[in-house]
Amino acid sequence: MTTTLIVNNKKYELNLKGHETLLEVLRDHLGFTGTKSACQEAECGACTVLVDGKSVLSCITLAATLDSQNITTIEGLSQGDNLHPLQEAFLEKGAVQCGFCTPGMILAAQSLLNKNLAPTEEEIKKALDGNLCRCAGYVEIVEAVKSAGQKLKNG
Amino acid sequence: MLKSSKRLNQQDKNLKMDNKDFLNPVGKNIPRIDGKGLVTGQTKYTFDMNLPGILVGKMLRSPHPHAKILKIDTSKAEQLPGVKAIITAEDTSKIKFGSNEYFFPHTVDQEALESQKVRYIGDEIGAVAAIDEKTADEAIKLIDVQYEILPAVFDAEEAMKPGAPQVHNHVRNNIGVMLPVNFGNAERGLQESDYVREDVFYCQSAAHACMETHTCVGQWETFSNKITLWISHQAPFKVREALAKCLKMNLNDIRVIKLASGGGFGGKLEMLPMDFSACLLSKKAGGVPVKICYNREEEFSFSRRKHSMIYKLKSGIKKDGTIVAITGEVIADGGAYCSYGPTVLAAATMRIFMVYKIPNLKITAYRIYTNNPVSGAIRGFGGVQSGFSIESHMDLLAQGIGMDPVEFRLKNITEPNMVTTNKMIITSNGLRECIEKATAASGWKQKHGKQQNICRGIGIGIAADVMGSKMYKSHESGGAIIKVEEDCSVYLFTGAADTGQGANTALSQIAAQELGISFKRIKCTAADTEITPFDTGSFASRVTFISGNSALLAARDAKQQILNVVAQEYQCQSEDLDIKAEQVIKKASNSVIISFEKAVELCYSFNYGTQVIGRGSFNPKTTPIDFRTGEGNVSGSYGFEAQIAEVEVNKETGEVKILKIWDAHDVGKAINPQSVKGQIEGSLIMGIGYSLYENLQFKNGRVVNPNFGHYKVPRSVGIPPMESILIETNDPNGPFGAKGMGEAALLPTAAAIANAIEDAVGIRLKELPFTPDKIIKALKGMTK
Amino acid sequence: MQLNPLTLHLPQTIAEADELYAKLDNIKILAGGTFLVNSLKNLKNKGLKTPDNIISLKKIPELHAISLENGILSLGAMVTLDDIINSSVIAKEFGILKTVSSQIATTPIRHMATVGGNLTCRYTWTELPTIMVALNARLHFTSNGKEEIVEAENFFKNAAKTNKILTKITIPKEENLVVSYRRATRTAAIDIPMLSVCIKTCLKNKTFADTQVTVNNGTVFCQRDNLLENFLNQKPFSPTLATEAIGQLKSPIYETKDDDYKRHMFEVSIKQALEEITGKAK
Repeated sequence: MTTTLIVNNKKYELNLKGHETLLEVLRDHLGFTGTKSACQEAECGACTVLVDGKSVLSCITLAATLDSQNITTIEGLSQGDNLHPLQEAFLEKGAVQCGFCTPGMILAAQSLLNKNLAPTEEEIKKALDGNLCRCAGYVEIVEAVKSAGQKLKNG
Repeated sequence: MLKSSKRLNQQDKNLKMDNKDFLNPVGKNIPRIDGKGLVTGQTKYTFDMNLPGILVGKMLRSPHPHAKILKIDTSKAEQLPGVKAIITAEDTSKIKFGSNEYFFPHTVDQEALESQKVRYIGDEIGAVAAIDEKTADEAIKLIDVQYEILPAVFDAEEAMKPGAPQVHNHVRNNIGVMLPVNFGNAERGLQESDYVREDVFYCQSAAHACMETHTCVGQWETFSNKITLWISHQAPFKVREALAKCLKMNLNDIRVIKLASGGGFGGKLEMLPMDFSACLLSKKAGGVPVKICYNREEEFSFSRRKHSMIYKLKSGIKKDGTIVAITGEVIADGGAYCSYGPTVLAAATMRIFMVYKIPNLKITAYRIYTNNPVSGAIRGFGGVQSGFSIESHMDLLAQGIGMDPVEFRLKNITEPNMVTTNKMIITSNGLRECIEKATAASGWKQKHGKQQNICRGIGIGIAADVMGSKMYKSHESGGAIIKVEEDCSVYLFTGAADTGQGANTALSQIAAQELGISFKRIKCTAADTEITPFDTGSFASRVTFISGNSALLAARDAKQQILNVVAQEYQCQSEDLDIKAEQVIKKASNSVIISFEKAVELCYSFNYGTQVIGRGSFNPKTTPIDFRTGEGNVSGSYGFEAQIAEVEVNKETGEVKILKIWDAHDVGKAINPQSVKGQIEGSLIMGIGYSLYENLQFKNGRVVNPNFGHYKVPRSVGIPPMESILIETNDPNGPFGAKGMGEAALLPTAAAIANAIEDAVGIRLKELPFTPDKIIKALKGMTK
Repeated sequence: MQLNPLTLHLPQTIAEADELYAKLDNIKILAGGTFLVNSLKNLKNKGLKTPDNIISLKKIPELHAISLENGILSLGAMVTLDDIINSSVIAKEFGILKTVSSQIATTPIRHMATVGGNLTCRYTWTELPTIMVALNARLHFTSNGKEEIVEAENFFKNAAKTNKILTKITIPKEENLVVSYRRATRTAAIDIPMLSVCIKTCLKNKTFADTQVTVNNGTVFCQRDNLLENFLNQKPFSPTLATEAIGQLKSPIYETKDDDYKRHMFEVSIKQALEEITGKAK
């Protein structure tokens, strides 16, 4: 079935099969390998992308249901050479270790910031509750999100 | 010509860091050198690797925990369209490999693909490469294997009894490794003690649960006789060595390249059958690359896991609190093969000597073969299990004579510049300061024994860490090369494997600091067995200390080559010169001779034409643990920590809420404080998970919770407030005084929490994890 | 490919969905996908049969609507847990729905999971069934163009079996309502609950009236505990009532075999729910 997927503000006309997950389409057809897979059971959040600004799990999303919806992957956050404030904050605050959870984690944070640029620590932790990180203690990640929110709020 | 200098003065538009910080990078929070690729998703992991024609590989595994292999018939699978190669033990040399083999040749017990017997559910006996996953899965199903099922044993204590099924024919009573540690006269020591007590502790198995599962891509160019293996790994040189052994090839026929790796924690420290199979399948498929990637269920069920342990202790102390004797027995469930079992046992017993002065100690540790999946190295080796057991036991000993647990520890801890009973040479030792700072920060005196009315309690645990140990080779060196290019950009080639702990960054900081240049000039290429020097791997918290020293020596060598040229040109002595903050200076007066850039230009100029290639190799003067005597100075230095946990116990639900954890850590020198803090917190959280809910469970040899839905790991919402206190004792042997610390923070956590729970509600938990049902059961037991 | 081949249908109206459902074979309805797509993977891994046709309700606008009219809250089957959490109408008038929805799973799952999926997926540990039974919700199904309404309690008595498409859930606003919901997990980690209970009663002179006790034990579909309801009705609120009540847990739904902790937590949960209702919430 022909589906138009809008990924990172660009339209892709694709001939999708009904059973293809968004994760497969993004990684294998469109080459957006920033989105990872670490469990295949909707528990780890490594496959997190944004659909219309909200975090969803691409490993359990059938791509063909997303016709004309805005999908954002980690590749869509930076603008040219410029890192997004969240990406900068993750680097500055030491919130990246092995990096495998990082794309999903950053997008989950972006989903929160899309609603609220000044979240409390509890709100940040709750927004990230679907993203596992085995390396870090989540502390720096929370600080990075807070910092990025402030940066975006102050323009 | 000197283009790289442009980068130095540019303010990185994406990061707010003072250019000054990059000039003296040691001790600064330099952002990860490889970080931009990670936050943008540009960096490719082995998981992302794709090559033209790449095949999907799958392992053929035993469904039985213990069986003889009678016959393998691959004919139907071979005929399936899309199948490009199938291998079994018949395609191999059947040479056995092991992980701790240098010191324990009798523990070399695993074939790359088993030919005679299978010993656990999942044991690999073959592999398939096909055009896609569906075909590979189907092919595996079409391989017909006939087994003769043998009786199996799943409990370590049962396996030790005479008459139990023998997992390995050459090993009696399934005792794979025994470590009889015996110093002084422990029996007499107990008799001379004023207070003696006995305790038994139970530690569960656990999983590494790295975010990137085990993945590799193997390519065997048959005509060139060259193997390339891309891998997510902590010890690529170990993999190369094992491949060379099993394939009967030279080390330089095999190139193992570690790509960006999504975590290791000890689970990616040895060659697994999948790594071997990817290469051999590629050969059989005519040189086409083969990718094998574990799914999460395979990762939990068939890779490696933590040794579950029964830790029995009986110790005696004097009424003034002095430890007289510690005795005990450790029984570890090793699973089907040896892996790093001996090192785990050593860590489970030796660490005690790093922490406490013990005149008499007799602990016999056994690693038992069972038909469970293989236990191996996992963060802390056996130090987590011993940390829980010993630190709980110490609290109980202190209680027995009515002594404050902190005072008890201060009375017995090791000190700087001493040699332990088992010949460990401790140089810098900040343990006392760690305890004092942690107790001050946590308000120990105001809280301990004083909050039972609100079900709150505070508990302490202390630990020590090594930085390296001679584990699988006679040496444990790290090597590095520094190449200074004509435009003053610099390469650091290191064998060290960064799996997220920040090794590339820290080593580059060390190299830049020693070479006297801006951090911004350096690019780090790591862990490629063909290009980088040897390094034993990321384990035992060794990288900052050992690999860091090799990077420092390489930088020093490169610097010396530059200074030799400058000295010749300016007719002075190179010993009088140094490079600091991008300037070649006279040491005595600090006066500048020329800039670093001009100096490099000089090296490459008409009169000199000298390439600057610095080399460094560092092998600490240590001895492995002698498994006959228990002696050994295993590490070039030792790190220390004290951890205090404050908890609140809900007596109705049994829930333990961690109010805060304080961790005071002697790190020698924090090369990158932010990274150090990140490692401490990450390790601590893992310790909390292990204490409260992580539990890899088995039934008849099968992992029953091989997924994140049922094997719980910590999430963002579960983390308590944590305070890290970094103590810098400036170790004489570490690079710029640094010590390793990647593992330590989870060693005392379970005990700190157990001790805090007892302080809060008066119950003593000796079995991990501390799930609410155990709390309720213990509370109900109290009221009876 | 992670899933077996299937044909995905995206009807734009309820009538279209109904028609497809009637004419196709081996079908499943796709709501949010948080159960279905995961289960498709599991079935494939076990070598079991998977549906040939999936009807996604995503493109049917009225299924996503939340409205409150004439004292009846209407939730379209495709309303997500996140929609419920962010709805000001629900926060104001049916706060317990927001409380329960906020505790389910994790954030991205709440963005995707739907009320309709949660009620019809037939997993015994899901939590919305408990609250819907407690609130006397009615489930509206469509079949062959006709609407059929089933009381939530009866739907779960029938083990949530249906061969019709759920289109919406309506909940009457009841006056003088006091509701308490409790869930318990086995460990401190985020997890599906091993049990959940919901106690609802009408405030009449500080006496229990029209009490509903709905219990989910994670192994059978949620049910009402009539024994405890009878015990509580006509009883005045009192400090000792909660403790007395846990001696009345005789319904077979509390059967836990050797699981002492689960039994203990049933008692704790009921006790805490009653304490909250009688104003002594901790």
